[in-house]
Amino acid sequence: MKVVPRSERHGHNIVAKLELENVSYVYGAGTPFCITALKDINISFGENKITGIIGHTGSGKSTLTQLFNGLIKPETGVVRLDGMDIWEDPKAISKIRHRIGLVFQYPEYQLFEETVEKDIAFGPVNMKKTPEQVKLLVEQAADFTGIPKSMLCMSPFELSGGQKRRVAIAGVIAMDPDILVLDEPAAGLDPGGREEILGRIKAYRDKKNKTVILISHSMEDMAKYAEELVVMKNGTVIMHDTVAEVFKRTDLIEETGLSVPRITKLMKRLKKDGYPVSDSVYTVEAAYNEIMNVLNKQ
Amino acid sequence: MLKDITLGQFFPGDSIVHKLDPRMKIILMMIYVAAVFFADTWLTFSLLIICTLALIIVSKLSVGTILKGMKPIVFIAAFTAVINIFWSTGETPLVSFWGITIYPEGLRMAVFTIIRIVSLVTGTSVLLTYTTSPMALTDGIERLFSPLKKIHVPVHEFAMMMTIALRFIPTLVEETEKITNAQKARGADFESGNLLARAKAMIPVLIPLFVSAFRRADELAVAMECRLYHGGEGRTRMKVLKLSVSDIVFLIISIAFFALMVVL
Amino acid sequence: MPKEIIISAENISFEYPTDDMSVNHAAVSNVSIAIEKGSFVAILGHNGSGKSTLAKLFNGILVPTEGKIFVKGMDTSDDDLLFELRKTVGMVFQNPDNQLVATIVEEDVAFAPENLGVQPAEIRKRVDKALETVGMKEYASHAPHKLSGGQKQRVAIAGILAMEPECIVLDESTAMLDPAGRAEIMKTIKRLNENGMTVILITHYMDEAAEADRIIVMNDGKVEADGAPRKIFSEPGKLSAIGLDVPQITELTELLSSSDIIKNKFSFPKGITDEDEAADYIERLFDSFGAAVRPQ
Repeated sequence: MKVVPRSERHGHNIVAKLELENVSYVYGAGTPFCITALKDINISFGENKITGIIGHTGSGKSTLTQLFNGLIKPETGVVRLDGMDIWEDPKAISKIRHRIGLVFQYPEYQLFEETVEKDIAFGPVNMKKTPEQVKLLVEQAADFTGIPKSMLCMSPFELSGGQKRRVAIAGVIAMDPDILVLDEPAAGLDPGGREEILGRIKAYRDKKNKTVILISHSMEDMAKYAEELVVMKNGTVIMHDTVAEVFKRTDLIEETGLSVPRITKLMKRLKKDGYPVSDSVYTVEAAYNEIMNVLNKQ
Repeated sequence: MLKDITLGQFFPGDSIVHKLDPRMKIILMMIYVAAVFFADTWLTFSLLIICTLALIIVSKLSVGTILKGMKPIVFIAAFTAVINIFWSTGETPLVSFWGITIYPEGLRMAVFTIIRIVSLVTGTSVLLTYTTSPMALTDGIERLFSPLKKIHVPVHEFAMMMTIALRFIPTLVEETEKITNAQKARGADFESGNLLARAKAMIPVLIPLFVSAFRRADELAVAMECRLYHGGEGRTRMKVLKLSVSDIVFLIISIAFFALMVVL
Repeated sequence: MPKEIIISAENISFEYPTDDMSVNHAAVSNVSIAIEKGSFVAILGHNGSGKSTLAKLFNGILVPTEGKIFVKGMDTSDDDLLFELRKTVGMVFQNPDNQLVATIVEEDVAFAPENLGVQPAEIRKRVDKALETVGMKEYASHAPHKLSGGQKQRVAIAGILAMEPECIVLDESTAMLDPAGRAEIMKTIKRLNENGMTVILITHYMDEAAEADRIIVMNDGKVEADGAPRKIFSEPGKLSAIGLDVPQITELTELLSSSDIIKNKFSFPKGITDEDEAADYIERLFDSFGAAVRPQ
């Protein structure tokens, strides 16, 4: 249950990349329809980490992402980027949006330009980059998302679903943000498409050392790609820890209406039946190693 | 919330007015509108006010709701009243200044005009838009005007279009919001610049919205075909509209009201 | 006794018309399938494998460019039978928003029987029953746009049930839902199947396909594999080669049974997908190695 701030965990005091302090948000404040979407949120996201946010639909995940880059303003509390309140100067909020790239769910529905290249360039052009800079940013973003040069001059509407998705993500990466936030980037894709997108996001982080925040319903994907997990329930953060620690708490996860990976369930059952295996296992490889260890001891 | 906006402004409730047959409400509204134009004396205008107030009371709508509904017409009512005051002529002037003469007839006309406009808007809103769900209204229009099908007026098609529009307005509003946010996140600026710049800034929202609307239309058409839609011919309805006692009572009252307005 | 066949496709092919004459975009090529009445069949494949095209051929939205499909003996290319055909095979699509017509749940469910010209009292009965079946009765007078994805999709299923079809095809109907929504749909269709409805589920989720009686794997417009889930999952290499996932549990037991120290001493049954079944075998494996602690 305890949320350990990253700075404490590492024993020294460093400023978190992105930090929310006592943040609350209410929809339709002042009307009879008001709904509290977030209550007293305290989280900090470490630099260069892939942090996953999990929670049932309606747990407040999407509201949270919109708070990150100032699309909505917290009712109370502070959102800090590199230690600075993002709402210090409300007029400069668009500058904040350039630094925190937000990829919405089904982002392919936002494509509008004549060519893939122009669409990816939309963000950098809005940021008033020079044509040379724009060209370079577009090329790099296309490269990260695996869009071949030949595709750049095509209309985005001619592409397949998975390709459109990659173009849309490239459009955000092209802004070269400090933090990349992705809401269900693999939703609706087949297993091949999922792996391609998530793998490329991880590779992007590895190469550029960016902070990545990933929202997903798929525990299997989280197990594979995330390093830390934030568990949300009814507008509050109920857990924030490493993936291994979070998956140990099957009870908590199931309480939020989600389920742990099947492989974790299997290992828990073995442990419960008295076999000397660890239950904080959530990938096939780790489970295999764990079982082989037991056998090798014989 | 934005998503809750539908055409008109329906306030759900269970008053007698809410429960009236939508076809009857359309007829009642026509009678009411005609009656408003027959009002021309203090007596008939008083009768009109009494009837409109009675209608508001039985509809159980709050005073606030009614007053809010009047807001948009305040200007028009005031404007026509002023014109009436200054441009009407009569026999004995009431006051006269700067070469403008106001006659008592002008004042009377101004008051009548205000009553006429306010009751027209309020009465029709209470009878129809405030107390009838858009779905029931569409249904009422389709059934009331179905005899027009004989002269090839596409009544069913029109009603179907209305229904689908009503169904998809909240979806499209939600989608507009989503796309706007997504483009804002990519640095789009909708708030600054002149009119032309702002109109241009809407392109990144409008194009995806159109593309998506066409895709939805396409998918909906296939889904409707799969559910055996083949136009209005041979189609039955689950909900049968039946006239109840209160429908008849309302009709009698309104005919009596209309007759009085004409006679008096 | 041979089972009654409800849908039979005989050497069907389908090509989407393209502007470019030199490219033949064959979405389905030379497929023959027979679907038994009352069965629960999953059609599995990655995007572009032809699985959705196949679904659209089952009730005549698309007509094969070669070969024929018969639904209860009705030729799907016969326009005169189209109405009867669509009444027999109902379709639920991917996007829950784009298949609901009316602004009130029960009015939407009534749409198909109204089109059929069913009498009002009978429509009422069918609507109530359909909503009951999908567990949405209490939402009868709600507006569809306020429901969750899973709820909308259940309303869409109810709208099909009100037609009283014999077979229901779900064309990636779970793809846009969250895990809770997907679970709702799976529960609903399994119940329908238990009550005798033929269910065809088009999906790319392995765990959903594992719940069917039969899986047809599509790749490149052809049937790659066809059989009971256990048989399909017993060849995990084949599945991953065509871009499909293998259930984690299957992958693990497969890895274990091919490891050097286990290979000759213990064998796992092929294609295990259930974690409890896998746990039973792993415990037996441990015991046969004389491993550590005995269960308390």
